[in-house]
Amino acid sequence: MKPPPFQYAAPTSVAEAVELLGAHADDDARALAGGQSLVPLMNFRLAQPAYLIDLRRIEELTRIRTEGDTLVIGAMVRQSHAEHAPEIAVGAPLLAEALGYVAHPPIRNSGTVGGSIAHADPAAELPAVVLALDAELVLAGLGGTRTVAAADFFTGPFSTAIGSGEILTEVRIPRRAGGHAFVEFARTHGNFALVGVAAVVELDGGTVARASIALSGVAPVPVRATAAEEALTGTVPDDASIRAAVDAAVAGLSPAGDVHGGRETRTDIARSYLRRGIELALSRAGDRR
Amino acid sequence: MTTMDRPDAPPVRTHKENRKWVGQSIRRVEDPKFLRGRGGYIGDMTVPGMLHAAVLRSPHAHARITGIDAAEALAAPGVHAVITGAQAAQLCDPLPDFGPDPAKHTWRCLAVDKVRYVGEGVAVVVADSRYLAEDALALIDVEYEPLPAVVDPERALADGAPLVHDDLGSNCAYERTFDFGDVERDFAEADVIVTDRLRWHRSGGQPLETVGALADFDHATGELTVHTNSLSFTSYLFMVAGTMKIPANKLDIRPVPAGGSFGSKLFATKPAVIAGMCSREVGHPVQYLEDRVDNISNCDHHGSDRVYDVRLAMMRDGTIRGIDIDTVEDYGAYIQFGVGHHGNALAQVVGPYAMTSVRYRVRAAMTNKNQQGAYRGFGSEVNNWMLEQMVDKAARELDLDPVAIRRQNFIREFPHFIPTGNVYDSGDYDGVLDKALELSDYKHWRAEQAKAREEGRCIGIGLITAQERSVFSATEFWFWFDEPGAPVTSMPESVTLKVDATGGITATLYSCAFWGNSPETMVAQLVAEEFDCDPHDVAIVYQGSKNGLPATGPGGSRTTVMLAGAVEGATAKIKAKALRAAAHLLEANPDDMEWVDGGFQVKGVPEQRKSLADIAVMLHLFKHSFPEDMESGLEDSKVFDHPYTTMPSADRKDLGVFYPFMGHACHVPVVEVDLETGSVSFLAYAAVHDCGTLVNPRSLAGHIVGGTAQGIGTALYEEFVYDDDGQLLTSSYLDYLIPSAMEVPELKIGHHETPSPYTLHGIKGGGEGGRMMAPAAINVAVNDALAHLGVRVTELPITPDRLRAAIRAAKSRESG
Ligand SMILES: Cc1cc2nc3c(=O)[nH]c(=O)nc-3n(C[C@H](O)[C@H](O)[C@H](O)COP(=O)(O)OP(=O)(O)OC[C@H]3O[C@@H](n4cnc5c(N)ncnc54)[C@H](O)[C@@H]3O)c2cc1C
Repeated sequence: MKPPPFQYAAPTSVAEAVELLGAHADDDARALAGGQSLVPLMNFRLAQPAYLIDLRRIEELTRIRTEGDTLVIGAMVRQSHAEHAPEIAVGAPLLAEALGYVAHPPIRNSGTVGGSIAHADPAAELPAVVLALDAELVLAGLGGTRTVAAADFFTGPFSTAIGSGEILTEVRIPRRAGGHAFVEFARTHGNFALVGVAAVVELDGGTVARASIALSGVAPVPVRATAAEEALTGTVPDDASIRAAVDAAVAGLSPAGDVHGGRETRTDIARSYLRRGIELALSRAGDRR
Repeated sequence: MTTMDRPDAPPVRTHKENRKWVGQSIRRVEDPKFLRGRGGYIGDMTVPGMLHAAVLRSPHAHARITGIDAAEALAAPGVHAVITGAQAAQLCDPLPDFGPDPAKHTWRCLAVDKVRYVGEGVAVVVADSRYLAEDALALIDVEYEPLPAVVDPERALADGAPLVHDDLGSNCAYERTFDFGDVERDFAEADVIVTDRLRWHRSGGQPLETVGALADFDHATGELTVHTNSLSFTSYLFMVAGTMKIPANKLDIRPVPAGGSFGSKLFATKPAVIAGMCSREVGHPVQYLEDRVDNISNCDHHGSDRVYDVRLAMMRDGTIRGIDIDTVEDYGAYIQFGVGHHGNALAQVVGPYAMTSVRYRVRAAMTNKNQQGAYRGFGSEVNNWMLEQMVDKAARELDLDPVAIRRQNFIREFPHFIPTGNVYDSGDYDGVLDKALELSDYKHWRAEQAKAREEGRCIGIGLITAQERSVFSATEFWFWFDEPGAPVTSMPESVTLKVDATGGITATLYSCAFWGNSPETMVAQLVAEEFDCDPHDVAIVYQGSKNGLPATGPGGSRTTVMLAGAVEGATAKIKAKALRAAAHLLEANPDDMEWVDGGFQVKGVPEQRKSLADIAVMLHLFKHSFPEDMESGLEDSKVFDHPYTTMPSADRKDLGVFYPFMGHACHVPVVEVDLETGSVSFLAYAAVHDCGTLVNPRSLAGHIVGGTAQGIGTALYEEFVYDDDGQLLTSSYLDYLIPSAMEVPELKIGHHETPSPYTLHGIKGGGEGGRMMAPAAINVAVNDALAHLGVRVTELPITPDRLRAAIRAAKSRESG
């Protein structure tokens, strides 16, 4: 299980990285972040990039900062760093909670926030989180930078709006009020989940003022549970209204099956975990009628 | 009911009291080297000029090979050779095969004109590095003509199925029905016949280091030296020489620590042959180490894969009369060990229960999957699971308590011959059960279960009582046939003990590389017990197969019992010589002397004494101090044969004694089932094992924990899944799920000691117990959690898909 030969460069700035990417666009150049998804794919020879541009020496991508109400996370921030960063605990506790479900600690020590989002595994946690939080993804290329909304970013399994010659530099997450919850069902600890649920629910005097819910593992890309969000908003949540919201969301799902769970099982689990996610978010949102 | 007279049992032994080292949880003597990364695995080995081999795997489940073009690969950088299957067939004979009719299901190191499963090797590349070898693999052009695949064992046996081996004429490699005892009468007189259909899917041992070999063929001497993490047992390795077409005395196979085997490296000759063949071709040492996909798809050691149709003859009071078992086993594309897995099952087919008859029908199906080999339990664990599901079902149908029905049927007199002819040497099943009920807090959990049920939660308790056979006889591999090809009966194990001039002791072992068990610790403790030394002072070395003494190697939980016998025998010879020497030096009568605390002394006169070191230095260096006929040195060996096996009867109504040292265990997992997701989690887990006299309680506990973890994998997670076209869907750990420390609960472990009357100290084998119990216990627990909903799971592993399907079916039955 060894990769085929490849060229390798380790630039120290974003400018240099995009220049290299541009120069080797014809060579199937790829960014290398933590390598926790890309390197196994190369070992299986499922990915055979001719040129690897290692982003690990680019200081400017490893920072976490707050700009007003927006949390800005550099693409190369390690997952384990983000998991325990105070800025993220305050600015995006949903992300911190979700990171605890990403693989195992040694993998999170290498894996990056940006790498997980750029990789866009349909079962991954972070894509669902950025979708639920209406985050923005900043992309840098030879022509400058552009910003893509999470809702427009994920275009298919393992594919995103990142153009050839571009790298993901930042994740911008607006601060959200309300209770959050990330819950997921995986067959074994640290493995990819069958279903993940990212939820933020804001209450106003016991009534749901705003609900954002995203699911992973049930479609080729992470999806917003719009039907559940709409069903919940404006209600005083109780078991019946939660069940109605869950049913509304599940009715629209048609997950693909695999060895870990067929379509029906995944649907069953989505139903269960949507409820658990909404209940947990509500319990953290303040008093519930 | 037997049609033959039973030979006498061996004499009943009296066991030493006040043992000093046997029974102590000493630290394992192997630990320091492994914990320091100094174990020396295959991947650590490198020798000057060493090249690397990589194998091209078939992407097809079943296809004819119509052409291979390796020219481009051969021209690639760093490539020394490309050997195709057809070329390999010229260079080597078929691999050693104990199957029913090897000429009709011929197994070679690389496929020749047809591939029979995804992952089967079709060519091997030798290059300067494994990277370059894999680059070259990508350049080999193989033309395949795909054939329809057969992946379901029952469909494989049906008319019109595609043939895995044309020469076999069908996909049934073996079929026979055995009757033991009066089956007809037991079933005719039964009040109730409990029936079920059960399905156990395949999983396998997952060693940290895969199987590998470093081979070096010396063209000057014609000798082949192979370092491999399989076995180095002398007793059968001449067969590898046969495959390599070299004389047996030109082959030396040297043991390397296995990094885990769990059976899966048993007689793993293919990597050694591939490396040896490549080395002979290129004239360099060659390392071939499977990668993970090679191992999962092509290791030849997948575990059991069975369909059962079972009937249990019951009396209304709970007495079990007999069992009628009809099983189809999916062996995959080859059948290297024949149906030996069912010999294992027959060794303890009735469990701890005193039933009087057994009907056993077995059919071995060939399919387009990797073949079966060995996996901790070797097929007996599947029988344990089947039997306990049946007893559990009987208890439910007859409305009997699960503890009571088991206790009611326990065998209580020993030695006990079961209907198949095997003997259970000793046991105390009530004692184990009592301990387990207490250790598991059984009553408490029954109360918790009732409480939880009121809250709508599903808690289940899985009490099972089952057997753990140990120390096999080779007869179980051939008693299947009226005219067996090779009815061998030897299963020896040897040890050489050498006392050097300073009194230091070195033990030489002949087959037992470390492969997850602790042969060095066992031998060190046993030697220390004999010589009153510190076990950590005993040096252990391994002899390769060349010049090795007869040895069969680990397997069937035989290592400790067999090594103990060999150590005892070698010790007796050394002590006899040492006694004579000491008596001579002290001018005493040997009859007046005794062994006390590490030396010989005149009885009652402790000043008149020679320590082992005193004697050793004299024997090594002072020839003239002894009579002429006393040879210098102090070293001896023992070839220890199996202490208790007997031949099968000619009509095979009695299979003889073939697995006599019978351990026993009771496992009690407490699980909670999440109805919504079909997942199972553990609330508690207690296990009590009786493996006779304990040599090292802590290392046995390690076996129990590790085996139970594997059993949890078998019960809930692990499965080699092949789709309908024979594609392997679980070729890496992304999809083949192994339980980690997060999935395995903390175990409460209890030991019970019922010594064997026939072995040194009363030791029985205990290497496989955890995995022989856990799948049965967990299945019973899950069914106990769901019985009130009418759900009964009959298929392992219990995945969310299977469990949810069963729950949905029960719900729709209820509403419909
Ligand atoms: C055993 C195991 C279990 C795992 N379990 C989980 C899990 O449960 N959940 C989960 O989400 N993940 C899991 N992962 C994957 C892990 O989270 C990876 O870290 C992550 O998916 C990729 O991050 P990385 O930094 O390692 O990126 P890499 O592997 O280096 O890159 C992944 C891909 O993204 C691209 N890329 C990376 N960074 C950028 C960038 N800044 N701009 C443009 N393209 C970029 C690369 O070119 C590549 O195509 C698991 C991995 C392993 C080995």
